[in-house]
Amino acid sequence: MTEQNKAARSAERRHLTLSSGDNVTTVLDDLVDASCLAGGGAVVPGVRFGHKVALTDIAAGDSVVKYGVVIGHATQPIAKGEHVHVHNCC
Amino acid sequence: MSTIAANGFHGFVRPDGSVGVRNHLLVLSTVALTNRLAELAAEGIPDAIVVAGDFVRGLRGADLPLQARVLRALVSHPNVGGALVLCHDVPTSRALEAAFAGEGKPVSVQALMAAKGMTDAVARARAAASGVAHSLTGATRSLAPLSRLTVALECGGSDATSALAANPSIGRFVDRLIDAGGTAIVSETAEFVGAESVVSARAANQKVSADILAALARSEAFLSEDGESYRGVNPTQENIEAGLTTLIEKSMGAVAKTGSRPFVGCLTFGSKPPAPGLYFMDTPFFSPVSITGMVAASAQVVLFAVGVFNPSGSPLAPTLKVCGNPRTLAEWKDSLDVDVSAAVTDGASLNEMADKVELALRKVLEGEKTMSEAWSEGQIIIPSTKSLL
Repeated sequence: MTEQNKAARSAERRHLTLSSGDNVTTVLDDLVDASCLAGGGAVVPGVRFGHKVALTDIAAGDSVVKYGVVIGHATQPIAKGEHVHVHNCC
Repeated sequence: MSTIAANGFHGFVRPDGSVGVRNHLLVLSTVALTNRLAELAAEGIPDAIVVAGDFVRGLRGADLPLQARVLRALVSHPNVGGALVLCHDVPTSRALEAAFAGEGKPVSVQALMAAKGMTDAVARARAAASGVAHSLTGATRSLAPLSRLTVALECGGSDATSALAANPSIGRFVDRLIDAGGTAIVSETAEFVGAESVVSARAANQKVSADILAALARSEAFLSEDGESYRGVNPTQENIEAGLTTLIEKSMGAVAKTGSRPFVGCLTFGSKPPAPGLYFMDTPFFSPVSITGMVAASAQVVLFAVGVFNPSGSPLAPTLKVCGNPRTLAEWKDSLDVDVSAAVTDGASLNEMADKVELALRKVLEGEKTMSEAWSEGQIIIPSTKSLL
């Protein structure tokens, strides 16, 4: 692993949770190699700016909540830190 | 920071009990034929606001009373201290004089055809404008409660930062405003298509829910008139690549500016809210049209969320541009009022950003000019229900 990659992996991703009851947060930077969210919490690598990450484990069929409202449902189990998008939510 | 509830605002109290945050002299051309006369009449009168739109004669059906109602609402607007109203023919001027007789504010109506030549028409109009302007001098502000304040909510030039910073920051502020007894109106029905479950869950009662859902259904039918289902193509491939998963998530980007309090009513275009609270107004697409509807309903100020720049605004109601896009803020800093980009770039909280919105709004309520006022930017556009032949 290069020094640059190590630095990237130890960085924390900036993110915004729009409402206190949300179970997803939106990442706001391009540090796609990092595995930690600012303030704690896991994130899988590769999630791009503007995309969502699960803040808790979400069971298949459970609500995905952003802006304090149900924006969709998990179509498969989603682990905390996973990317939430059209592949696992509709 | 002190909450907006504690302080109220200082404005110009009108005979009907409404409170202006400006004391404008309105020069209103009620028909496009007198637009040039309106410009000439306002020359040399500082701070006169000219409204000279594409107002036409020969309207039929619902369009005729709609245009008349909106033009009258502009004269009645709380931010208008007095008005010069221009029309083409003498019988119309008599009808307008009768209509404005009960306004309780100085209104002069001038018909172009009452003059003998353009030089005479300009002289008469300027004298009338000066007379109204003179009667506005010396007016003072007095303290008014927030129950006298109506804020219009709009967004345009939307991008990813609109959904994450500008709209939610406005939404947090709107919650404070409503809790403090103020009024807010949101419009542009098409933006709510997809968020039916949210709106109906937030409706204060069954009737409000049914009225808003009916407006959304009409809007969706209109959006799908070209044969392509709006719901079927949204979110678009571009939206999905940007991270939006569902249509409701996309719609929430705009709905976020309404905050989280209940919708207490569904208003038709330009109708005044009957009591304080958060209202939905059914208006067609295009932000200057929606803003016209909310300002005709007596909103004294507009909070406008932008991502990329959009010059929409109201000539009568100061329009604050709230932006969370750092590039737009750098390039259009001469046209934007509130920078909420720290929510995106620095991890700042939405409550801190709502504080910035509130602070800027307070200053504007007390007389500080918005960027759009400094540029004399703003449009009045009345929708038509039928296309003209």
